[in-house]
Amino acid sequence: MRLPVVLRYVGFVLLLDAAFLFAAAMISVYEGDAALMPLLYAAFVTALFGAFPLIFVPSTTTMTNKEGFLIVVFGWLLSCTVGLLPYVLYGGEFTLTNAWFESVSGFTTTGSSILTDVESLPWGLLFWRSATHWIGGMGIIIFVLSVLPSMGKAGMILYRTEMSPLAADNFLFRTRRTLHILVSVYVGLTAAETVCLLLCGLDLFDAVTQAFGTIATGGFSTKNTSIAYFKSLPVEIVVMVFMVLSGMHFGLLFVAASGRFEEVWKSPIVRYYLAALLLGVVLTTVNLQGRIYGDWGEAIRYASFQIISQGTSTGFATTDSSVWPPFAQLVIIYFTLQCACAGSTSGGIKADRIAIFWKAILRRIKSIQHPSAVITVKLHKVSLPDDLVEVTLLFIALYLGIIFLTTLVLSFLGVDALTAFSGSVATMGGVGPGLGGVGSMGNYSALPALGKWALTGNMLLGRLEIFSIIVFLMPRSWE
Amino acid sequence: MGLRIKILSGFAILTAMLFIAGVWSIYELRFVGSSVQKMLDDNYKSISAAKMMIEGLERQDSAVLLLLLGKWEEGRSIIRSGDELFRQGFEIAKNNVTIPGEQGYVDAIEAKYKIYKDLWTRPIVGTKREADLNWYFEEIHQAFLNAKAAVAALTELNDKNMYETASELKGRSHRASMPGLVAILSALIFTLVFNYFVNLYVVSPIIKITKGIRRFVETREPVNLEVETKDELADLVSSIQDMIARLMR
Repeated sequence: MRLPVVLRYVGFVLLLDAAFLFAAAMISVYEGDAALMPLLYAAFVTALFGAFPLIFVPSTTTMTNKEGFLIVVFGWLLSCTVGLLPYVLYGGEFTLTNAWFESVSGFTTTGSSILTDVESLPWGLLFWRSATHWIGGMGIIIFVLSVLPSMGKAGMILYRTEMSPLAADNFLFRTRRTLHILVSVYVGLTAAETVCLLLCGLDLFDAVTQAFGTIATGGFSTKNTSIAYFKSLPVEIVVMVFMVLSGMHFGLLFVAASGRFEEVWKSPIVRYYLAALLLGVVLTTVNLQGRIYGDWGEAIRYASFQIISQGTSTGFATTDSSVWPPFAQLVIIYFTLQCACAGSTSGGIKADRIAIFWKAILRRIKSIQHPSAVITVKLHKVSLPDDLVEVTLLFIALYLGIIFLTTLVLSFLGVDALTAFSGSVATMGGVGPGLGGVGSMGNYSALPALGKWALTGNMLLGRLEIFSIIVFLMPRSWE
Repeated sequence: MGLRIKILSGFAILTAMLFIAGVWSIYELRFVGSSVQKMLDDNYKSISAAKMMIEGLERQDSAVLLLLLGKWEEGRSIIRSGDELFRQGFEIAKNNVTIPGEQGYVDAIEAKYKIYKDLWTRPIVGTKREADLNWYFEEIHQAFLNAKAAVAALTELNDKNMYETASELKGRSHRASMPGLVAILSALIFTLVFNYFVNLYVVSPIIKITKGIRRFVETREPVNLEVETKDELADLVSSIQDMIARLMR
C-alpha cells in the first residue's frame, strides 16, 4: 500500500472542500457576517493540506483496490474533519462534539442537527452546512473524479469503491461516461428545483440551500421549522417531487431525460419504490385522518410529505410526526430503514436490497415446496448470482445489528428507548429526524456527547455501506 | 518541481498557517479590547446618567411632599438639588446618544420632565395646592412616574445593548482563541506530513544513492539508482549513472 498515493488523491478531495469553503466565505463577504474569517481560515488550511501532497507526490494512474478503499474512506473522514473547522472556529452552539456531529451529518447527507436555533447562524455558515450535503450527496470521490481529467484505471477503482455496489453494476457505460451522467443529472436536478422554488416565491439563498438539501436527500434547512416555515403548499409539492426523483437511480433519470420514459417504468425497483411510497402515504393518511387532522386534505398533505421525506432519506419536515399515532410512527420507521433506490443520493438499506430480500424469502418458500427444483432470485428477468443475494442478506443483518448496538449504547447513556432506537435508525440510514426526543421538529442537541459520537459512527457506516469502514479499520489494509 | 521549491513550500505553508492565525487572533483580541471600552463608554455611561436622573427625580418627589406639608425652605432646597442632579444626568445622556433610536428615548425624557417640572415650578406653599393630596396623586405624582418610566426605558435600552455586546464579546473571545488552537494542531499534523515527505522523497533517495555508489565502488557492477521524482535528485542520479557508465568503459 502506497501511502503517498493515498495522500495525493485525498489532497484532491480536500481541494474540492476548500473550493466550497471559499464559496461560502464569499457569501459571508457579500452579507458582511461573522462567519467570514472562520470560513476563510478553514478554506486556507484545507487548501494547503490538499495542495501539499500534489507538490511532493508524483502523479500515477495505477492503483490497487486496497489503496482505492483507503482513499475513499480517508477522503470522507478528512472531509468531515475539515468540515468541522468553520464550526469550531465560529463557536456559538458548536463545541468540538457538536461541530463533528454537524459536519458528519452534513457530508453523509443525514441531516440530523444539534442546532437549537438554525436561523441565528450567519449565511456563510448556513451555505457551508448545505454545501456539505451537496458535496456528500453526489459522493466526494465521484465529484473529484468528474472534475479531474481522466485518471485511467485509478479512476475506475475509485469509482467502483465509492459507488454502492448495486448502483455501480446497474450502469452499463464506461466510468467516464457514467460520471458525466451522474453529475449532469445531479446538477440538472439541483438547478431545476432551484428555479421551481424561486417561482414559488423563495429568495435565491433559500431556494439554493433547500435544493441542496433535497437533491442530496440531506435535510438541512436554513429554517428552524424546516419546510414548515414557508407555509406554502406549492413549495411542499416542489420539494416532494424532487425528493422522489432524487431517490431514483440517476442512470434511469438520465435515460428518462433522453426521452425514454418507459425505461423508468420497466425497472422493477422503481415500481417497487413508488408503490411502497404510495402505500405508505395511503396507510398513514387513513391512520391520521380524524385522529390528528380534521380533514382528508390536511391528512394527505402532511402524511405524504413526511413519508416521502423519510422514505427518500431526506429528513425535511412540515409537521411534528413524533405526536402521530403508533401505527403512523411504525410506517415511518419502516421507510427510515428502507429508504430509496441504489444509484441515487439516498441512504438506508435501499429498495433494491429490500426487493432482493423479499425475493430471497419467496425463493426459500418455493424451495421448501419443491425441494428438487433449482430456483434462482430474479430481478428484472435476470437471475442474480447467489453470492450477491448472500451479501445483500448479510448487509441487511449487519445493518440491523449495528442499529441494535447503537440503540444499546444510547440506552446505556440514559436516552429513552424510542429516541435511542429511532435516532440510531435515522442516522444509520442518513435520514436525519427520528421520533421521540429527536423528532422532525426536534434536534440531537440534548443527547450525551458519547451518544453523539456513536451516532456519527452510524452515519459514516451507513453512508459508506458498512464494509468500506470495516476494511479501513483492519490493520491488514494498511500493510 | 525543484527540491528547493518543494522544501520551501513546506516551510512557507507552515509559516502562513501560523501567521494568518496569529494576525486573526490579534485582530479579534483588539476588537474585544475596544468593544469593552466602547461598552463602558456607550452603555455604562448612559446607565449611570439614568441613575442620576432617577435619584434627582426621587429627590424632587420628596421635596414636593415637603412643600405640600408647608415646609417651603427645606422643600425648595431639596427640589433645586434634585433638579440640578437630574440636569447633570440628562446632559450626560443627551451627549452620549450611541444606540440607534436612543435619541427618541432622550427626547421623551426631556418632554416628560418638562411636564413634571412645570407642575412643581408653580407656587405650592401658601396656595390652594398646599396639603392637597388629591392634586399630588392625580397630577404631579403621575407626571413624576411618567418621567421616571421614560428614564427607566433608557436604562433598559442600554442594559439590552450591553447584554448583546457582552454576548458578541463572548463569541469574539472564542474566535480569538480558536485560530491559535487550530493553527497549532494543523501545524503539528502538517509537520508530520512534511517530515514524512522529506524523508520519503529527499532523505531516502539520498541514502539509496549513497548505498548504490558504495556498492559500485566495492563491486564495480552496475547499480539501480532510480528515483520517483523529477527534481535535482533525478538529475543527480542521471549524472551518477553517466559517470558509472564512463567508469565501466
